[in-house]
Amino acid sequence: MSDSAPDGDRTESLLARVVAPFVDRSVAERLVISVAAILLSIVVGFALVLVSGRIAQCSTAAWTMPLTGIGFCYDPIEVYVVLFNGALGYPFAVGDPGLFNPAWTPFNLSFGLTLSETTLLIFTGLSVAVAFRAGLFNIGTQGQLVVGALSTALSVLALAPLLPAGPVAGAVLIVVGTAAGAVGGGLWGAIPGALKAYADANEVITTIMLNFVAANVAYVLVLEVFRAEGSSVVATRYVPEYAQFPSVLFPPSTDFALLALAGGIAFIGALYYFVEHTSLGYDLRTSGVQAAAAEYGGVNAKLTTVRAMTLSGALGGIGGAVWVLMSEGRWMASIPDLGFDGITVSILAGNNPIGVLPAAFLFGVLKGGALEIGFRTDVPTELVAVLRGLIILFVAMPEFFRMIGRYTGVGGTAGGPGGAASAESDASAGGDGGEADA
Amino acid sequence: MPPPAATGVKPMRNPLSPASLLEGASESGYVRSLMAGTVGVLALLGVSGLAFPDSVAGDLAGIVFSTSTATSTARLAAPIVLAGLGGIFAEKSGVINIGLEGLLIISAFVSVYAASVVGVGNAVLGVPALAIAFLAGIAASTFLSAVFAVVCIEFKADQIIAGLAVWLIALGLAPFLSTVFFGGVNTPNLGVSVGWQYSATMVVFATAGSWWLLNKTAFGKHLRAAGENPKALDTVGVSVSKVRYAGVLLSGVLSGVGGSALALSIGQFVGSGETMVQGKGFIAIVAYLFGNYNPLGTLGAGALFAGLDAIQIRLQQLGYAIPDTLVQTIPYVVVIVVLTLVGRTQIPEAAGEHYETEE
Repeated sequence: MSDSAPDGDRTESLLARVVAPFVDRSVAERLVISVAAILLSIVVGFALVLVSGRIAQCSTAAWTMPLTGIGFCYDPIEVYVVLFNGALGYPFAVGDPGLFNPAWTPFNLSFGLTLSETTLLIFTGLSVAVAFRAGLFNIGTQGQLVVGALSTALSVLALAPLLPAGPVAGAVLIVVGTAAGAVGGGLWGAIPGALKAYADANEVITTIMLNFVAANVAYVLVLEVFRAEGSSVVATRYVPEYAQFPSVLFPPSTDFALLALAGGIAFIGALYYFVEHTSLGYDLRTSGVQAAAAEYGGVNAKLTTVRAMTLSGALGGIGGAVWVLMSEGRWMASIPDLGFDGITVSILAGNNPIGVLPAAFLFGVLKGGALEIGFRTDVPTELVAVLRGLIILFVAMPEFFRMIGRYTGVGGTAGGPGGAASAESDASAGGDGGEADA
Repeated sequence: MPPPAATGVKPMRNPLSPASLLEGASESGYVRSLMAGTVGVLALLGVSGLAFPDSVAGDLAGIVFSTSTATSTARLAAPIVLAGLGGIFAEKSGVINIGLEGLLIISAFVSVYAASVVGVGNAVLGVPALAIAFLAGIAASTFLSAVFAVVCIEFKADQIIAGLAVWLIALGLAPFLSTVFFGGVNTPNLGVSVGWQYSATMVVFATAGSWWLLNKTAFGKHLRAAGENPKALDTVGVSVSKVRYAGVLLSGVLSGVGGSALALSIGQFVGSGETMVQGKGFIAIVAYLFGNYNPLGTLGAGALFAGLDAIQIRLQQLGYAIPDTLVQTIPYVVVIVVLTLVGRTQIPEAAGEHYETEE
C-alpha cells in the first residue's frame, strides 16, 4: 500500500506511510496473536488461581463453584476484577448500582502507580525492541538499567552542590542525569555488542551474565563507597527534590510524572522514525532480517551490532534514570524487574516501537493491579510474574493460533484479500476487547 | 570447467560418515587440551603453595586442595553439570533449550514441596521421602520441558523466546506456589539434606551414561543427525520430531535431577530474587559450549565453575577483605571470558530451525 503511489501528492503518501503499519497484514495478524495470547494467559492464570485455591488452606472459602458446591480459597473472578479495576483506581462500581463509580477521577493513586510503571516499561520495552529489530536478543536491559540508574544518581548527586537550588538547576540536573543514565547504560550495552560482533559470543548468555555482574558490582560500589550515612538499606543519598520529575495533577505518592510519560511517548515516536525512516535504521533492520544480505548491500554488520546494542543499552539506561529521578529519588539495591518486563513488552508489541505503548500500558496495569491484589486478596502477587511468562510463551507460538484460526474458520490463512480483511476485522474486534479488559 | 553452481553448493554432510567420526576425535583432542590445562594450573598452584605456604598462593592452595572445597564443589556442580548434559541432548537434536534455568527452578521447588508433603523420614510404598522428592522434581521438570517441546516442535515457536518463557514462567510459578503452600517465597527448611556423595555419584553416572548414549548407540547417531542434517534422517525413515522430543525430554529429566539435587542438598527452596538457582542454568549452557558438546568436557567445565564458586565461599570464611558480592561475581565474569574465547563453537547445523516433514 505504501509503495503503490510513487508520485502521488505528498499528503496522500504521508498518510499512507503513517497508516501502512496498521493495515499491513502481518501487523494485523501480530495484533490478533498478541491479544489472543493475553486472553489465553488470563484463562490459564484463572485455572492456576482456581487450582491453588483448592490446595491452599483457609478457614472460609472465598469462592464456591456454582452447581458443584466445591469451595476455593481464592476467588479467581475477584482476582481479575481487582487486578484490572484496581489498577485504574476502581472506575467501575462492581456490585453497586450503576456501572461507574461517581467519585472516580483519573488522577488517583492507583492509576498514577499504573502510569508510573507504564512510563518505566516504555523505556525498557523500547530498549529490547531496538535490539530485536537488529536481530539481537538483549536480555541485559535489566543490567543496563541498573548501571544507568547508578550513573544518574551519582552524577546528579555530584553536580547538585555546584548549582544554586531552584527549578533551573532542577531542569539542568534532570537533563544531565538522564544523559548520564544513557551513557552508563549505553556503555554497558556496548560490551555484549562488541563481544558478539568481534568474538562471536552469544549475546543471550553474555547479557544474562552481565545482569548478574551489574547488580553485584553496583551493590558493592554503593555498599562500600556511596552508601548514604545511617541508611538501613543499601542505597545512595536522595537526589534533591527539585531535581526529580515533578508530579503534576497526580498525588506525589504515586511517583508518577506526566512529563516523564510525555518523554517516553516522544522517544517512541523518535525511535519509530529512526527505525523505519533513516538509513541507519534501515541498516539495523536489514541486518536483523538477513545479516548476510545486509553485508552484501554494504552494511557493516559488526558495527551495526555494536551500535544497536549501544542504543538498546542507552534506552535501558534512560529507563534507569527515570526510575531514579521519578520513582525512587535515589539508587537502591532492590531494583524491580523492569528489564525482564521490557522483554515481554517488546515481544507483545511485535518489536514495533509504536506497539510498545499499548503493551507497556497493559503491563503497567498488571503491575499496578498486582499491588491491589496484594492489598485486597490472599492470592500471591507472583501471579503477575507467571502471567508475564505465559504471555511470552503464547506470543512465541503464532502457529498455534493460526491452527485454531484454521479449525474455527476465523482469520483465514489463504493470504488473499479476503483473508487479510478478515484478519483485520478480527484485529479491531480483538483490540476493542483488550481495551474493555484494561 | 565445472558449472558455477557445483562450486557454490555445499556437499551434503553425512553425520554417520568416517569424516564426522574423525571430527569427533579432534573434538576429544580439544577436551584433552582443556583437561591438561586445568591439571597444569592446579599443579602450578600446588607447587607454589608448597613453596610459599604463608603467601596468598599458600592459602589459595590450601583452599583448592581442602576436602571442604571438594565437597561443596561436588554439591554446586550437580545442577550445572546435569543441566548442561541435558542441554547437550536438546541442542544436539536441533532444539536450543535456553530454558534450563527454568527447569532447575521448578524441580528445585517441587522436590522440596514433595519432601515436605510426604514428611522426611516417612515412606510411601517403601520408597523413602527423599527418593520421592527426587522423582517429583524430575517429573515437574520433564513436564515443563514437554510443554517447551510441544511449543517448539509442534507450534514452531522461536526456540529462544520459548526458552525464555520457560525460565520466566518458572521464575514466577515457583515463588507463587511456595507462597500458596508455605506462606512465603522461601520454603521452611526440611531439616535434612542429601550428602555430597550422592550428588557426585549422580553427576558421574549421568556423565558416563550421556557419553555412552551419545557416542555408542543408534539413538545418539539419530540425535546428532536430527541436529546436523534432519533431511538425511528423515530420508532413512526416522521421525525427526520424535528424536527431537526425546532430546528435549532428556534435558528435562537431567535438569530435574540437577534442580532436585541442588535444593535437597540444602533442604530448602529459596525463591527470592533470582531464586536459589541464581543463573546456574545459564552457566550450564556455557559449560556445555565450553566442553564443546562433549559430556566429559561439560563435567570438567561444570566442575571448574562450581569450584570457583566453592573457592569464593572459602575465601570469605578465611576473612580476605574482599566484599563477598564481588567475589560471587567471579564465576559470571569467567563465563563471559570463556564464551568470548570459545565463541565459535560447533553449533549443530540445523539447531534453532524448525524441520518440516515432507510427506
